[in-house]
Amino acid sequence: MPRVSLNQPAPNFTLPDFSGKDFSLADLKGQKLVLLVFNRTFA
Amino acid sequence: MAQLRHDHTEFVSRDVAVVVVGPEDAQSFSDYWQKENLTFIGLPDPKASVLKLYGQEVNLFKLGRMPAQVLIDKEGIARFVHYGHSMSDIPSNEEILALVDEINQAK
Repeated sequence: MPRVSLNQPAPNFTLPDFSGKDFSLADLKGQKLVLLVFNRTFA
Repeated sequence: MAQLRHDHTEFVSRDVAVVVVGPEDAQSFSDYWQKENLTFIGLPDPKASVLKLYGQEVNLFKLGRMPAQVLIDKEGIARFVHYGHSMSDIPSNEEILALVDEINQAK
């Protein structure tokens, strides 16, 4: 199974947020750090 | 999630965008965000496209996915990668914030 590796570029992705607005990881490059949280469920 | 909400301002003040990706649909995200008054970015990923891209562990026998966190710096480089081995295996925000401080200070 592929995994993101430490100190390597994080794979870019674009996905609509829950309001339908596209979020693209690349848009934040040079502007913000990103904490990507993979959540299993809202519990 | 409660922990994240609690410390969200700490992340914001350090120039960190918190992005939560989950298997629920947009409506479930929207409902939950409203109910919990969350302000970070929520990305419904019912097809698990990002989950697969980043290789979050899927264990069918345990009915789901383990939590995972990735901290990406402003250059797009992954600086912290954590794959949980159980549902409660989540690094503390303090640990991540300390690393963020380190990255920000190195600039």
